[in-house]
Amino acid sequence: MSMCASANPYLAKPVTIEKITVENAARDLKTFRLAFCSRADREAFKFDCGQFAMLSVGGAGESPIGIASSPLDADYVEFTVKRYSTGVVSTALHAMEEGERLGLRGPYGNSYPLAAMEGRNVVIVSGGFAFTTLRSTIRYMLDGRNRSRFGSITTIYGARSPGELLYKDELKAWQDVDGIDMHVTVDKGEAGWTGREGFVPTVLGEVKPSSANAVALVCGPPIMLKFTIKPLLDTGFVPETIFTSLERRMSCGIGKCGRCDIGGKYVCRDGPVFSFKQIQELTGGQF
Amino acid sequence: MALGVISKEHLGKLIAAVSRTGRFLGPVDKGDGVCLTQVSAGDMLALDYVNFILPPKRMFFPRSEVIATHGSDGMTATPLPEGRVVLFGIRPCDVLSLVYLDKVFLDEKYADPYYRSRRDNAVIISLACRQPAPTCFCTSIKGSPAGKAGADILAVDIGDVLLLESVTATGEAFMAEYGKLLDKPSAEQVSSRQAQVAAADAKMARVSIDQATAKLRARFDAAAWDELTARCLGCGVCTFLCPTCHCFGLYDEQVGGQNRRVRAQDACAFPAFTLEASGHNPRTRQGMRMRHRMMHKFCYTAESFGEIFCVGCGRCIRSCPANLDIRETLTEVSK
Amino acid sequence: MHDMETKLRKAAKDLLESGKVETVVGFQNGSLPLRTRPHFVRDASVADTLVWNRFCTNNLAAYLPRLFEKPASVRGQWSPPKIAVAAKGCDARSIIGLIKEHQVPRGSVVIIAMPCQGMVDPRKADAAAGEAVTDCHAGADGAFEVTTVSGRTRTLQRDQVVAEACLGCLHPAPAIADVKVEGPSQAPAAERFARAREFEAMAPAQRWELFLKEIAKCIRCYACRQACPNCYCKSCFIEQSKPNWAGAGDDPSDLLLFHIGRMFHQAGRCVECDACVRACPMHIDLRLFTQKLVKDVEELFGYVPGASLDDMPPLCAFQSDDSESFITHP
Repeated sequence: MSMCASANPYLAKPVTIEKITVENAARDLKTFRLAFCSRADREAFKFDCGQFAMLSVGGAGESPIGIASSPLDADYVEFTVKRYSTGVVSTALHAMEEGERLGLRGPYGNSYPLAAMEGRNVVIVSGGFAFTTLRSTIRYMLDGRNRSRFGSITTIYGARSPGELLYKDELKAWQDVDGIDMHVTVDKGEAGWTGREGFVPTVLGEVKPSSANAVALVCGPPIMLKFTIKPLLDTGFVPETIFTSLERRMSCGIGKCGRCDIGGKYVCRDGPVFSFKQIQELTGGQF
Repeated sequence: MALGVISKEHLGKLIAAVSRTGRFLGPVDKGDGVCLTQVSAGDMLALDYVNFILPPKRMFFPRSEVIATHGSDGMTATPLPEGRVVLFGIRPCDVLSLVYLDKVFLDEKYADPYYRSRRDNAVIISLACRQPAPTCFCTSIKGSPAGKAGADILAVDIGDVLLLESVTATGEAFMAEYGKLLDKPSAEQVSSRQAQVAAADAKMARVSIDQATAKLRARFDAAAWDELTARCLGCGVCTFLCPTCHCFGLYDEQVGGQNRRVRAQDACAFPAFTLEASGHNPRTRQGMRMRHRMMHKFCYTAESFGEIFCVGCGRCIRSCPANLDIRETLTEVSK
Repeated sequence: MHDMETKLRKAAKDLLESGKVETVVGFQNGSLPLRTRPHFVRDASVADTLVWNRFCTNNLAAYLPRLFEKPASVRGQWSPPKIAVAAKGCDARSIIGLIKEHQVPRGSVVIIAMPCQGMVDPRKADAAAGEAVTDCHAGADGAFEVTTVSGRTRTLQRDQVVAEACLGCLHPAPAIADVKVEGPSQAPAAERFARAREFEAMAPAQRWELFLKEIAKCIRCYACRQACPNCYCKSCFIEQSKPNWAGAGDDPSDLLLFHIGRMFHQAGRCVECDACVRACPMHIDLRLFTQKLVKDVEELFGYVPGASLDDMPPLCAFQSDDSESFITHP
């Protein structure tokens, strides 16, 4: 009996690597622009900012990666992936070339709370390569079709050094866009860097975005989250209006295998986006 | 609801008849325990046992299976199993576990086709318990030695014969199909069944579970768990023998030039279960892992699916090499 | 037995009160008939919860690598805790092995040498009695009075009740006794490596068939590995992804790789405590194969695991006159 692929949630859809962009100086962060091989698959793939998909490299395995492109980018899907030397999939992925094929399952998970963000100011705080799904969100909000739905957008984004910043062209372009207030920083500058220097939480303290009618989206390594939540709470944000994207090792991505469970919620099904209030309830505030 | 009796001799004829068009699996004594095994004759069956070593989940969710292969133009699912399988002798506690596993594998959004086809192909004839073990506690968790939930037919062994009662339409159709091998039960046989079921029920020890879900939520304190589970070896036997434990992993492998996707059972008791490529592991201590296991089974599933995922079969109690006793743990955390 | 229990409790109390140790690892009563359970006593006031009887089967050395592991939260210098273990001959041999492999610091462990007459195997007792045994007492003559679940009592002989590992035990007395609890102990078994010799007498094809038959029962739960004091690797070879030694499925080759790999990792280290056999839910005859390797190492290198602190395990040391008889030319 043959299996209709869409009815089997474990089967990945074939995609081709259209373009690979090396994002950082260390060359361990690459953005893969993928196109579905089948039109039906492409049309069926509708996602919201914050969701992820399972990328598979044949014979190596699958990894959950946040979607970095905007939902309005109709012809392709982008993922920015870091290569870990201990990671079988990320290593295999980084060795691939344009034109080669991957598998894609998704979209999975919940999204950033776009409904809650409507009519409100959006504050985005991010560090390192956790910025990917927030980049998707910024592109989405800035799109002419959407901009009027949201209030002011303030972004604080930092990396360890200038070479490690992602999406450098877009960051530069957004500096000149009216509809968004960009604060890009690095932990430590270098020759030629004319931008800001300072840790993300420090810059957050300096920019002090208002919490009035605002929602905060915060993504970064656990240590950054720890030092970012407090300043936000101090300026009047409440746990219900601070959102982050959690990570756990995953396997099925569809709420069955139990691996990504945090306090009874599956990161793949009930997350990865959680409000800080939910995180306090799930883990006592630990990431 | 149909009732019928089948003599133990005719059971052999039933097995032969079913085996002509499908498979019949029943309890077979392997010397060091009873296993659900394919049989072709009645005399292969052992009817005097507490329970199978392994839970029936493996009939629907095997320890491992190749679910698909990767080709140049995408993935192809492994053909689904076909043909009817009659599973005879599963205890009511184990049958209830299938009802719970259905909630995980047969959810609306992402139903598992491999599990589904095996479930659809199976006719489950459960066998009521005559003599519960001291480690059984199904009546403390929504179960009963003659519980019907999840079975197609409930069989009760009343001596020379088995009294069969259909529970589902599938069960009724099955009994109609093999009606020639069944007799109408006498009033005596029906009351004999009643008495036996009541006797088994009465022998069951009671464990207080009612407060477990609420109390567990409140008792996330890590230190207490480290103490409670200090002797846990992290061996995973409880997980592999538990009828409802279903954590698994998907693995892509290259075997003999072919790329394939394997689904294999896993255990949250293992340290590497949540280990990330970065080296970070959210559950580094055995106490945290056992806490998670208990929380998942008695708290989280109750919150997500409305059911505590324990059926009181007692396998974890009997098989734990360090004698961790789930009844004691539940009593301790319910204080 | 009661006498030894009293002595053990006193020794534990003394060690804890004097501050010589922070924890005494022993046994307390279990929740099932014929079972005790590993127990960690940290205060002299509860030393009386320790028991010593014929059901003290677990190899307590399995807990030591974990107890002596520097916690991740500690940065810089760390002093290992001082721990005492109520050790039978097999436990003590395991501890000595762990000391030599740098998993347990010698100065931090106190071996309370316990006398052992062989421990009861509940499964064996049940099989011999024909039904579940609910109570079991050793008589003076070595036989056991057992009561079964239907209320009947009967006498079973020693070899019907005592574990196989204990019946064949060659080293019942701990080689090191920091504290000694006096009491009756069994003598070393007269027959050495009986099962391994039986195995060796089989033709290679027969041995392979027996091995495959046993291993086919395996459900890859890794209980054998977790229960074994020698298996303390942070990352077991079978679970490594780089390199991916074995697949996750049930290919016979993957199953064989795990067992052959694990057994050979035990060569010269296994103390035949039977922890693996007891933990295995499928009752695989694991120790038959490790016993063969233990015999081989003793014959080839004259080495007995855990007999002394002074000799190096043969697979960790090289002497120029090491036997090479097993190296075959291709």
